Amino acid sequence: MNTTPSKIISNQMSLTPRWTETVSMAFRSIVKVKGGLLGAVFISIMLLCALCAQWISPHDPDAQNILQRFAGPGFAHLFGTDYLGRDIFSRIIYGCRIAVLVAFGSVTLSSVVGVFLGVIAGYNEGKKFDYFIIWLFDIVRSFPQIILALAIVAVLGPSLVNVVVALAFTAFPFYGRIARAQTLSVKEADYVKAAEAMGQKPLTIISKHITPNIMAPVIVCLGMDMATMVIWESGLSFLGLGVRPPTASWGIMLRNGYKYIQVSPWMILWPALAIAFAMIAFSLFSEGLRVALDPKERNR
Amino acid sequence: MLKYILKRVLWVIPTLIGVLIILFSLTYMLPGDPASAMLGPRATPELVEELNSRLHLDENMPVRLGYYLLGIAKGDLGTSVWSGYKVSSLISSALPHTALLAVCSLGISAVIGVFLGAFGAIRQNSPISRIVTIVSLLGVAVPDFVAALLLMLLFCVKFPILPAIGAGTEGGIGDIALHLILPATALGIGWVGYLSRLTRESMVDVLEADYIRTAKAFAIPQRSIAYVYALKNAIIPTITVIGLGVGKLLGGAVFVEIIFSRPGLGKLIVDAVYARDFPVVQGGILVATVLFVLANLLADISYGFVNPQIQYD
Repeated sequence: MNTTPSKIISNQMSLTPRWTETVSMAFRSIVKVKGGLLGAVFISIMLLCALCAQWISPHDPDAQNILQRFAGPGFAHLFGTDYLGRDIFSRIIYGCRIAVLVAFGSVTLSSVVGVFLGVIAGYNEGKKFDYFIIWLFDIVRSFPQIILALAIVAVLGPSLVNVVVALAFTAFPFYGRIARAQTLSVKEADYVKAAEAMGQKPLTIISKHITPNIMAPVIVCLGMDMATMVIWESGLSFLGLGVRPPTASWGIMLRNGYKYIQVSPWMILWPALAIAFAMIAFSLFSEGLRVALDPKERNR
Repeated sequence: MLKYILKRVLWVIPTLIGVLIILFSLTYMLPGDPASAMLGPRATPELVEELNSRLHLDENMPVRLGYYLLGIAKGDLGTSVWSGYKVSSLISSALPHTALLAVCSLGISAVIGVFLGAFGAIRQNSPISRIVTIVSLLGVAVPDFVAALLLMLLFCVKFPILPAIGAGTEGGIGDIALHLILPATALGIGWVGYLSRLTRESMVDVLEADYIRTAKAFAIPQRSIAYVYALKNAIIPTITVIGLGVGKLLGGAVFVEIIFSRPGLGKLIVDAVYARDFPVVQGGILVATVLFVLANLLADISYGFVNPQIQYD
């Protein structure tokens, strides 16, 4: 690192960095990690596909063409067509939307709820509320996650929102436990004691002093969870308990591919590759995130 | 240590009660009328009413919860709305298939994974180490149900050499084993990757430890240093992961059993979800959850035995 003295001073001057600085600093350190850059590029591609699906995809994802069923990859249809003659490439691009929506949606929802409960429980360590929250976390963690998600979707009915809610519900205790454990150590820190001595309200202490300082491990967990959520969304959709057809979701495409496995290998291969792409993207990125946020690994 | 075990075991009880409450409320929230679903469209209102009162469906929620917990305490998981069989007998006929699949895939992948990982750590930059990297990447990139589909595409459709559906229970042990190959591979491939990477990482750390250097100074053969002295400590993180893995495995079994039409617990649950047969869904999830809880309990307790450095307060 080539830190000039002036840079060090300016770093020390701005005690509370603006969030844009934090984000750009985090991004720079992720990119420095081996594979992190690749992960960031892959995720950007997925985001681009999700945002601009209607301009990127060459065909309407739902346009059927019965005469052109089960076509192999070719010029007219880059990845071929499915059992209704729909363009697989366009459907894969639109499927990015569902994958990105579910990944970000369920991870955001579960981490917000989990961190909120975990921090409050940790701050009230040893009280009844704390025990209740630990109990709640342990109950939800007792279920095999995907089976619980399956049951919830079965009760609520299959839809995009319900999938996000069900997946978030199965994951929130994991964030909660991390947040609680971190809070237990952070609340003993001098700056929290100082804030208490100054007579700040518990809510202010929790939101201003504790929560910002426990986020690093939560963010690492967030990155890893996104990959899992993408798998589970496609898994639920594969079982017919996820997003409703004809929405283009990779899981639904696999479901159709499974039905016509004897006829066309392409209907399985392309969505499988898309899922593999997303998995590699999220794991490389989260690995970069983990190393970037871990002070022990950063200087390796 | 004993106090920790006792505390850990006792904590299971309130947790399982909570699990039952969640399972109960899921069914409680369910729209529709189970009694008329059971009796069909031609049932008279009197019949529906009688069944309702026999199943305690006309009571209010706390009373119904009480009856539900009482039934579970007696070992009664209810009756299938669809087939009329006892849920417990449905589960006990499905469970062996899932257990066999889980034990085979986890057992084999643990052995292969630990061996690959250890070997990859001892000979870094060797072909084996590269295989570990590739397999673990593959395990990350191809989730179990996608692996199942791809394996089926390859070995049942392109090159039809392995059976695609069923558990092969009619054909004796050889047939059962043949029917296990693809599902167990699909479930285990991710585990081989994960466990091999985990073992390699912890093995690399352990090999740098002082006691290994001491062992080398005492001229203990390289092989026994690696596989006896180092591996014993390097395997510790793997053991806890296997406990958590049972949950993932049961979840993965759902997909693999559906894809390969194996009559196991996962298929039972999903088929019951399709048929809206909620006593079976409830019972199946309960059994899966209890198995998962027990596996975690065992992993937590065994962790203390394998690693005496851990201090419990």
